[in-house]
Amino acid sequence: MRDYGMLLVLLVLASFLSLVTIQYQHPAGEKAGSEVADSILTSQGKQARVLIVARDTAEDFAFSTAVAKRLEAFGATVLATVNGSALDARQAIEEILARGEQIDAIASNGVTARWTVYDRFATVGSQKCVVPRPYAWPDFLKTSNLLGVANQTAIYAIIAIGMTMVIVTSGIDLSVGSLVALASVLSAIIIRDWGGGSDASIGMVLLGSVAAIGSCALIGAFSGLMVTTFAIPAFIVTLGVMMMASGFSFRLAEGRSIPELPTSFFWLGRGQTGGIPHPVLLMLILYAIAHIVMSRTVFGRYVYAIGGNASAARLSGVPVKTILVCVYALCGALAGLGGVVLTSQLSAGDPKFGLMYELEVIASVVVGGTSLTGGRGTIFGTLVGAFMIAVIKNGMNLTAVDPFNQKIVLGAVLTLAVLLDTVRRSDRDSST
Amino acid sequence: MTRLWASLLACLVFALAGCGQTKPASKGTIGFSAMTLTNPFFQTIADSMRSEAAQHGYELIVVSAERDVKQQADHVNEFIVKGVQAIVLNPCDSQSIGPAIAQANAAGIPVFTNDVKYDGTEGKVVCHVATDNYQGGKLAGEAIVAWLGSSGGKVAILHFPQAESCQLRVKGFLEIIDANNSQAGNNPIRVVQTLDGGGMRDEGFKAAKDAIEANPDLSALFAINDPSALGARAALESAGKADQVVIIAFDGQLIGKQAIRDGKILCDPIQFPDQIGRVTIEQMIKHFDGDRVESEILIPSKLYYRADAEHDPDFNTP
Repeated sequence: MRDYGMLLVLLVLASFLSLVTIQYQHPAGEKAGSEVADSILTSQGKQARVLIVARDTAEDFAFSTAVAKRLEAFGATVLATVNGSALDARQAIEEILARGEQIDAIASNGVTARWTVYDRFATVGSQKCVVPRPYAWPDFLKTSNLLGVANQTAIYAIIAIGMTMVIVTSGIDLSVGSLVALASVLSAIIIRDWGGGSDASIGMVLLGSVAAIGSCALIGAFSGLMVTTFAIPAFIVTLGVMMMASGFSFRLAEGRSIPELPTSFFWLGRGQTGGIPHPVLLMLILYAIAHIVMSRTVFGRYVYAIGGNASAARLSGVPVKTILVCVYALCGALAGLGGVVLTSQLSAGDPKFGLMYELEVIASVVVGGTSLTGGRGTIFGTLVGAFMIAVIKNGMNLTAVDPFNQKIVLGAVLTLAVLLDTVRRSDRDSST
Repeated sequence: MTRLWASLLACLVFALAGCGQTKPASKGTIGFSAMTLTNPFFQTIADSMRSEAAQHGYELIVVSAERDVKQQADHVNEFIVKGVQAIVLNPCDSQSIGPAIAQANAAGIPVFTNDVKYDGTEGKVVCHVATDNYQGGKLAGEAIVAWLGSSGGKVAILHFPQAESCQLRVKGFLEIIDANNSQAGNNPIRVVQTLDGGGMRDEGFKAAKDAIEANPDLSALFAINDPSALGARAALESAGKADQVVIIAFDGQLIGKQAIRDGKILCDPIQFPDQIGRVTIEQMIKHFDGDRVESEILIPSKLYYRADAEHDPDFNTP
């Protein structure tokens, strides 16, 4: 029921952002090309002499080919086709004018029509540009944006799975950001030094990734042991681990980024299947598994039991220490996985990665309705929370909100989410 | 509880609507992802870019990556979605920003960088604008040579070796020192220590404390930026060596200029962030105008002494 409410808020937010980001979009590609050719043929007649200007992208090549095909089919003259920069356009125009020919119209798209190069020539001018008719559509709802948001969130969301489990046990893990950096540096160094850098085989790539994730899991287990065996508060243990891991990764990488990676490594972070980026697929799969683990298995029930009341759980036979160590190890491993995905996405290992991710991830978990006092919270809620933060950030960037105001808004959202948690808890307490 | 959610939403709607849609400028928008806006240096670059762009009919969108290269890559993605005319970056990392630049290239959007250069091969940058750090480092070396004269002395360097800009500064500095030492009749200026000052006040303080501990007869110190120089100054003051050791810094931020005016720092080779911003936009205009654009433009640094501070409009305006 609670998750349902949050999903509703997310949907309202998304519709609001769709409304405020409505912009005129300039069509591109083949259809736009035919449209431009038609409008030139109507306005200039079949004797029109036309210059086609587009950029050197795949979409623009389709555009310029379509324009040329259509114009020539009706007997108009294509003086030249430019697929490049304004400089190329200038050279093409100079050449045409040197031949003593005149340009009747410039077939262009929304971007190339805005270049200022045409005004250099008295006989040309940008008023000769013919563009496809723009249509209104929200920037927010463009497929590239929605996939982009999902892709941006994927790493935070993956780490947030482990964090949700830790917080449900009423713990906290501040070290995840540094573990992202450590995993990034470790995997890159193993691939560079043992695998041969950019010539490394797929086996070495796998080994490097698994070793990095495994190390982070071990470090997580270490935090868990400190929390359980010596009863040191999780906040302090993971704060120490956070500093050690960060310092260690800077030491290993000597403060620099490590770009010597093979292209096979980029499959995970930059590849797509069926148009969906791999980090997003990975995130969805992990969430499905985590949801089942937390809601349908004994392990999941134990985790909730420990968070609800650790002593009661122990007395009723829950192996509290083992479960806690497992939860922290899992959180570390997922942070490591996040680091490997990030390295693959940005094509370099870097000790500067993961800066402040712990706060981003904790915020996702809390906004997603998990109680910081433990015992309550769902995996699905965390996913919604992560998306809520990502959508707010994306919306603020798309509407060009000042960077400092963005921080204020995000801080306010987090504070309200915690307030909500507190109110909900006092409701529950007063009703029992 | 429903009321709380409603208030949360209302707060957001308010924040977004308040700053929401601006009318698109006639020639389009430019996206700028700054390394950080908490450093006044980048704020100045952003401000001068905004006013220069406005003069030519462009609107500048400024976002801050806060040194997180992933966030910067996300910004580039959003700029592509918005369909900006051009993208300007201070890369948070000179390597890992590559895929984002390549993505912008694939979308046909020209990318410009300033201050930090992109070093990789994956993406294509139209033009890079930055301070000539190598020449600035030479100026710092000349200032030390002029101060110590033929008598020579011991010098320490507060470095920040992670940054390529600082490596260039120290390289230029050392070349001048070596040239001076190779001249006959000069007592050598010896660089006795090169410490990592982190480019920050607190780390500069610690590093300078160690330097003066190890070399009590130190006569000069070159810090690669103003904050670490001021940290060093504090360390020298607490050790009672402030009059013995002269400090030369770099940057010419307001705090640095104030310190020069107050005699705490001898001089700075200064950077001109306003020029960096302006020149970046000028190159972009040239690019859309169909002119050939240099792939790199370096803006020379200049030495700034106490006498310059006395005439500086930064201090004379109330």
